Parts: sequence; structure tokens; C-alpha cells
Amino acid sequence: MNESIAHETPASETSLTELPAKQDSTPIFVVLAAWIVPGMGHLLLRRWGRAIVFFIAVGGLAITGYFLRGNIFAPRGGDAFGALGFLADAGSGLFYFCARFFEAAGPDVSRAAGDYGTRFIAAAGVVNLISVCDAYEIATRRRN
Amino acid sequence: MLIAPMLIGHFPALLIFALMASLALACVTQRTAAERVKYAAWSLFLFVAIAVGIAWAMYPLSR
Repeated sequence: MNESIAHETPASETSLTELPAKQDSTPIFVVLAAWIVPGMGHLLLRRWGRAIVFFIAVGGLAITGYFLRGNIFAPRGGDAFGALGFLADAGSGLFYFCARFFEAAGPDVSRAAGDYGTRFIAAAGVVNLISVCDAYEIATRRRN
Repeated sequence: MLIAPMLIGHFPALLIFALMASLALACVTQRTAAERVKYAAWSLFLFVAIAVGIAWAMYPLSR
């Protein structure tokens, strides 16, 4: 009886039970670290390559957006579009909080470049949110 | 101010966006390094090719 059950156990379940039981970082800590500093969550999980790629991708998009003088949405945007813009922008963590430092001259969306910059900054936040989800899945062992 | 405002052309901006998005998507969706490089290169090509294609399709509207 027990043998038949053992034969019916899927290979994926077997591989999950073989993973080490102890974790160095709790998922919530990994999620917070990944959000505040892009790539930090992967760094804590010892995924060096992904950590570097996410830091470069999020930083590259955000800083290019500031170069282009894109609009940075404030927490109190006033309408739904502003609120969504804030959520997207704030996703980039450290780069959002340093936005005024990088873009002291303020946004200029009177040119097409400024409008592109707004999209770059939002895209940086969205990419970092994807990276946070990826780090969470690794921390909870849903993926490698 | 750390960075002075700088003009970046439309095409360089497109390349930067396509490269960064391709790298991030490749890391999330693929498992091995070889698969990631292949996916990122193909995604970068499609980003640029489709953007240039749409630009050419919209060209008559600008005149």
C-alpha cells in the first residue's frame, strides 16, 4: 500500500521536500528589501546575476526618465490617473525617494521627451514590482 | 542637482527602454543563462522592429 502511494507521488513534490528546510531571510523582509533597493531581495537570496540585472534595469529606466525630465507623481495626485501614476512611480523604491535629487529642475512635459520620461519612470517602478514578486516567489520556494 | 537635464533622441530612448525591459523580462521568465540571453536578444529585436514598423505606418499621418 505504502509503496503504491510512493510511486504515485509526483516528481515536483519530491523535489520540493528535498529543498533545505532553513531559510536565511523571511519573505516579508526580502519583499521590503527588494522594493526599497532594486535587486536587494535577490541579493539576500544569493541570486547575484538577477540582483545586478534588476538594479541596472530599474536604475537605468528611472535615471533615463529623470534625464528626460519626466513627471513624478506625488502621493496625493487628486485623481485616479495620478494615484495609479504614484503607485507605478513609487514601485522603484530608492529611485523614487531620490527623485528630487536627480531631477531638481522639475518635470518638463511640454516636449515629447518629457512625456517619454514620465513613461520611463513608471516603467522602472513596474519592473521593480515584478522583481519584488520574483524575489517573493524565490523566498517562498515557488521557483528557483 | 546631481544630473543636469540632457536631451536624448527618440531612437536612443527607444533602445534604452527596449534593452532594460528585455533584460528584466528575460530574468523573470527564463531559467538558464542561455535561455535568458536568447530571450533578451529576441525581445530587444521585436521591441525595436515593431516600434520602427509603427513609426513607418504612422508616417503618412504626419504630412
